[in-house]
Formats: sequence, C-alpha cells, structure tokens
Amino acid sequence: MEAIKNVLGKYENEYIEDYKPTWVKAKFKNPKDLLNIVKDLKEVGVETCSTVSPTDFIDENKIEVNYFLEDLINKKNVWLKFDLPRELEECKIDSITPLMPSADWHELEAYSTYGVKFEGHPNLRYFLISADYFGKFPFRKDFDWKKHEESLIQNIDDITSEWLDEYEENKKTLPKDGSETVLHWGPTHPASGPIRLVVGVDGENIKWVDPDIGYVWRALEHLVERKDFVGAITSVERICFMDNPNPMICYSEAVEEIAGKEITRFAKLMRVLLGEIGRCASHLISMGGFFGNAGLHTFVMWTMDIREYFLDVLEDYSGARIATASVEPGGVRYPMPDNWLETLEKAIKKYEDTVPDMLDIFINNPLMKTRAINTAKISREDVITNYMAGPIARASGVKLDVRIDEPYAGYDEIEMDYVTCENGDVYDRLYIFFKELNQSMDIMKQAIAKIKEGIEKGEMNPKKDHLVRMPRRMPAGEAVTRVEWARGEMLMHLVTGEKATSPYRLKLKAPSVNHTMVLDSLLRGKTLSDIPLIYGSMHICQGDLDR
Amino acid sequence: MFDNIWFQILVFPGLVFLLAWTFFVFYFARKTLAYIHKRVGPHFNGPAGSLQTIYDIFKLLTKENITPKTADPYLFNIIPLVTPIVAALPVILIPWTPLMHNGVVLDTNYGVLGLVVLIGVEPFLLFLTGFGSNNKYSFLGGMRVLAQMLSMETPFFLAALSPAILFGTMNLHDIMYSNTWLTTLILLPGAIIFIIAMLGILEQPPFNIPEAEQEIVYGFYTEYSGTNYVLLKFAEFTEILVVSAAAVTLFFGGYRGLFFDSFFCLFLKIVLIAIVMVAIRASNPRLRLDQMLKFAWSWLVPLAVLNIVWIIFAKLYILGA
Repeated sequence: MEAIKNVLGKYENEYIEDYKPTWVKAKFKNPKDLLNIVKDLKEVGVETCSTVSPTDFIDENKIEVNYFLEDLINKKNVWLKFDLPRELEECKIDSITPLMPSADWHELEAYSTYGVKFEGHPNLRYFLISADYFGKFPFRKDFDWKKHEESLIQNIDDITSEWLDEYEENKKTLPKDGSETVLHWGPTHPASGPIRLVVGVDGENIKWVDPDIGYVWRALEHLVERKDFVGAITSVERICFMDNPNPMICYSEAVEEIAGKEITRFAKLMRVLLGEIGRCASHLISMGGFFGNAGLHTFVMWTMDIREYFLDVLEDYSGARIATASVEPGGVRYPMPDNWLETLEKAIKKYEDTVPDMLDIFINNPLMKTRAINTAKISREDVITNYMAGPIARASGVKLDVRIDEPYAGYDEIEMDYVTCENGDVYDRLYIFFKELNQSMDIMKQAIAKIKEGIEKGEMNPKKDHLVRMPRRMPAGEAVTRVEWARGEMLMHLVTGEKATSPYRLKLKAPSVNHTMVLDSLLRGKTLSDIPLIYGSMHICQGDLDR
Repeated sequence: MFDNIWFQILVFPGLVFLLAWTFFVFYFARKTLAYIHKRVGPHFNGPAGSLQTIYDIFKLLTKENITPKTADPYLFNIIPLVTPIVAALPVILIPWTPLMHNGVVLDTNYGVLGLVVLIGVEPFLLFLTGFGSNNKYSFLGGMRVLAQMLSMETPFFLAALSPAILFGTMNLHDIMYSNTWLTTLILLPGAIIFIIAMLGILEQPPFNIPEAEQEIVYGFYTEYSGTNYVLLKFAEFTEILVVSAAAVTLFFGGYRGLFFDSFFCLFLKIVLIAIVMVAIRASNPRLRLDQMLKFAWSWLVPLAVLNIVWIIFAKLYILGA
C-alpha cells in the first residue's frame, strides 16, 4: 500500500486516501500524467485494469474518468480519477490499452457511450451500441432518448446500412477463388446466444475471430438512473438471468455504504445463502451448456433437473424463479418463510445424490477429455494481462476470489479456501465449476447452521430482522463494491447527488467482457469444431456482456 | 403373398414397411432419449404420444419447399428424390423373413458385395446435397461427409468381409444359416468394428460431425425444408434400418431365433442395436473432425486388417477347413 501511495504522491494531486482495506483512491489534476502513473504502478505490481468508468457532471461541465486498477496477486487496488472537459473536441485522454491490454474493450465502451476519446488506442471504434447511436454518446446527461426514439425508421435504416456495408466490404476484400471466406457464428446460432462471432476461415481453419456484441444492449446503466434506489434492483438483476441475486447484493452494498447503514447479521447470512443459490443455478447451467456446445444434451437436462430444486427455493422465498428481486438496500426483501431452510437442504441433497453419476458419465467422459484436455490453455500471465476473472482465473491456478479477498455480506464468518485447478485448459475450466459447486454446498451448509443457531439462541428473528430502514434521500457520495459473481468479479461504481432519490451514475462491470475479448487469441489457428467448445468453456453470458 | 413382386415393392419389405419403420424409429429414438434426459418426450397425441411423429412428418409435407436463390435448382431438388431410393435399394438383398423364398427378394451369390456398395454410395449423395445448396455451411457439411466417408468405409468394408471369408460365401442367406455360437464369438471383434464404423457411416454421435449443429448450423441439411427435408430424413432412417439389419444378418444370425425363425427375431435384434446407438448418443459428446480421422486411420483400419488375419487364422485352425 505504501509503495503505491509513494508512486501516486509523485504526481500533482488533489487527494490520495485509503478506501476500504484494499483500495487506494486518488484524484489527479493533470490528465497528461495518466500514462506515467500507470507505468509506475505497473512496476509496483498493479498490472490489471478492471474497468474504466466515466461520470458526466453536467452542472460542473466536466466528465470525471475513473480507472479501477488491480494487483491480482497481492490484492491491492487503485482507484484513479481525472477530470476532463465535456466538449467533444477536448474530451481526450491517453489510452492505457498498450500498457494494460485488459482495458481494451472498457475504453471502447467508454468512448461509445460518453465520447471520451482515448488517444493511442490501437483500434478506437464505436462498439457495443447499435449504428443509430454512433456519434451521439447516449449515456451523456444531455442525450435525449425520447427524441432519438422518434426517428425510428431512420434508426433502423442506419442499422441495416451498417450490415450492408459490411457485406459489400467482404465482397471486395475476400479473394474470388480459394477456400477463404467469412462465416457468421451467431447471433441466431444453435450454440451462440445473442452474440455474433465473425470468423475468417480458410476451409475449416480459423484465421481470425472478431466478436460483434451488443445484440442485447439494454442500456441498463442508464435505466438505473431513471429509477429510485429500491426500484433500481430490477434493472440491476437483469444483467444476467442465470445468477440473479449476486448483482443485487453488489448494488445494495454500494447504496448501504453511501447511506452509512449497517445491516443485520441475519440479513448478511441470508445474502450469503441467496448468493450461493444463484451461483449454483448459474454453474449448473454453465456446466450443462458446455456439454450442449459439444453436442451432448443429456447433461444439460440433468443439471436443469437439479437447478429446478434450487429455483424452488428462490420461488419459496420471493415468488419468482428467475428474476427474484430478492435483495434490496437495507437487507433482504422478504422475511424468511417457514421451512425454507428445509427446502434448501432438500436441494443440496438432490445435488449430492447426483454427483457420482455426473462424475462417472460426464465429467470423466473419455471423449470429452480427448477434446478438452490441453486445448486453448490460458496461462497465469494471460489471466493477469487480460484479467480473466473468477472461475476462469482459478482454473489457471490464480488464487482470486472476492469472497475471500474483500469479504462482503456474511462471507467473513464462513470458512472457505480458494478452489483452483492447475492447467487452465478447457477441461479445467469445466472441472473448476464442479469443484466450486461442491464448495457452494459447503458454504450453504455453514450458513444454514449459523442461521439455525442464531434463531435457537434468540439472536435473530427471521420475521423482522431481514430489513433495516434506509433513508428516503441519500447523501452525496460514491462507492465501489465488488462481489464474486458466478462468472467472476462484478464491480459496481455508484455515484449519488445531494438529497438524491435515484442513482446519478451506476457503472456495472461484468466479467464476460474480458472473457469475450480473448476469444480471438484463443481461437486463432484452431478449427471450426473448436469454436463451440472453447466458447462454451469461457462461460460467457451475453446479458452481462452487453448490459 | 410374400413372393408377389408388387407386394414386395409396395408393402413388405418395400414402401409401407419402410415408412412404418421411419415412424417407429423416430418415435422410439425420441422416447428413449427423453427417458435418459429425464424428460417426458412426445406425450399428447395418440397413446403415449405415438402419433406425434406422424403429425410432424405430415406437417413437414404440407410446408413450402424453399429453393434458395443461389442454389443449383436441379441438383438441389433431384438429390432428395434419388437419396431415399438408393437408401432403400439394399433392402432387396437382406433376408427379412422365412416366409419369402430363401428369405430375400433377390437371391444372389453376391449379397455382401451389393450391400456394401449400395451402402457406400449413400454418403456421396449427401455430399451432393451440400454441394448443390451452394451455402457455406452446407458445403462445409458436404466436405465433412466426404472426409468421413473415405475414412469410415474402409474399416466398414473390411469388417463386412470377415463373415464372407469365414464362411466362404457372399450369399447372405447362407452366411446367416452358417452362423453358430462359436462363429459368432469368432466374428465378435469384426462385429464391434462394424458397429463403430457403422456409427461413422450413419453420422451418429460421436461421429455426427457433418451435421454438427453447434459448429456449422445443420451441415448439408441447412437449406432444406418441407418435403425435401422429409425425403432426406426418410433416407437417413432407411439407411439406419438397412445398416443395422446388415449388421444383424452378417454377425448375429439374422432372423434366426432361439426357438423359432421369424421376422420378429430380426426386428428385436435391430432394436437392441438401436438402443446401443441411442445410449452412445445420450452419453458422449462429438469428436473433432481431425480426431475422427486419426481414430479411423490409426486405430480402426489397422484393427480391421488384423481382424481379417484373425478370421483367416480361425478358419484354418479353429474351424479346421
């Protein structure tokens, strides 16, 4: 920490302060210093960029750019802030992508939505947003959404013409004879989901891959600003349907931090339970989907069968199976129903009964091993440069888990250790999910025991302790919270104004962005058959990719 | 009745029988797979959903037949007509029931030869469907069919040869009646190679590489719809019937049963093979094209050659011919 502070102190700053146990927060006066700061930080071990988040302060006529940099090995994080003028011509800052490749798509996203120009970015282009938003920078506070939607026909024409242009360009650039062509893997492909991989192939061999994302871009970061603090959870939870409670936990922690409220121990443990249920539901789909991508649909049916039991638990709690809206600022939304813990124990038992069959038939399947072992390895260095998060990083042997590094909710009470695999190949990226499921079951058992004990001793009241009253109006402030989401680190940066009733700005950082970013380097030189397998092994969810 | 040529063409083992088989195996595969998947499968139409496949096929027949603008219209539409006929031709060589003369429609001394040649032509027609569609995915599927055909047919032919060598005849009826418990054991390695190669020829998992939907959409089927699609599917199921019946006839004594000889003994054996196929399909992911090639050429072909050596050895020293 001191080393980082020394480095940052060399540059002209407004303040350098500690923030939470693992963060250093610093605001600098001169944006020109950015590259030197990042260079110096790299020397003290901060090598990864988590995300870039601009905030538009229209009243002060400035855009504040936040950089969230992380040292994955020593668990030290840096939060840098720079002020830029709002005018499009002067809203420029140096790109850190050449120094930290993990910032690549995050910078593109900031450019497309806020118009912050990153000078020196290797390929600065509009990204994520559809063609009708090009050059309009929709997340700026002065963008008029209603007016934009009035010219509907023109917008559709813009999108279509972008497609046709691409088609024409392919016609020109591709050789007339020979076996080279461009294949589209998605967006309506049996295994892709709403993402389009533009694959340049020579016969069956892949020359290059260019992921085209944004098919489910719902502008969630903007939708949150239209809602009040509780209503915002409905936008936040729609990041991805597979792991539903964890994003809400992340958002609620940020709101509580700004409000300065502490929630009850019961609510914290309930958050652990709900978070782990979400993780199990998501991991089960991910594992099944991996085999589905390899052409075997039995496993996905089996895992769906187990998942139903976990969804039953969520339904008992909140009335909904997928979009539960079960966590809100101040605790968890509902009191605990009677016999709810027994339903959860039933689900855990169902999973544990199926484990031997799962291992024998699927996880140790020799044909799957032939395809997966030693395919598309991700080394520890790749994890750090490109910031592979969560299970993907742990499959490569990097000890990375927000639940342990920066405990939130009730995780500080839980005994757990990093689960890792060694090789970082496709097989490990499947096997890690199995290991993590077992770990989740263990965590849930611990939390259940703690809640039962608390109720017996009379320390907790499951009917009243679930929620503490939150202030109606928030003070001005900002917070950064992280949770270990099913697919990796989820980071939220929340900014509120004075006496606010709704968030001023919420940046959602989700891990799938980085996981999609590396597809090109993973797939180059492989064959067409490897696309579904490797793509499936990255466990990408388009919901959190596009937001 | 069974020796009447029109009865043979139209009813058994001709059109009606093949259609009935298509409906049956479609339903059977769906239901068995659903059971392994922990699903219900077809349920609402007919007893236990048995009419569902019939409805599905008639629904497809009423659908519009779309020929893509870029496709070769003649090739695209003619191949689906030729394929089921070629797929159904080997039916005349297989001994179906003792009610017919010698059990077969066409009693010939070159049965095994006719069978492997007619089965071997089929994948080439499927390649032509992909070629005629003039679509990138279809074409890749077609190329994969060709690669798979070349590598899988070698062990297939060699394995089919082993009973002919052992019994010294290519007449399928004779082969069937020469089979004893001892020769079945001798032929067992050949039978296993035959069934593995059969999965490759029929494009069944784990060798369903040409129609890998996660990779190349639906391979050579991609552009087909309506009646053409039904015809191609009909050809596929007919081929499954023919090849499994060939396996049973060559290695497991055809329609001979433990207590009586009947078509139903043959049918039961075919269903057993179908169950094995569905079980493999339900528990194994797809192989990669290059892994399939490597498996075929560095394991299956050498083993098939060794199997021939073993058959000759067994013929000389065990059966003492």
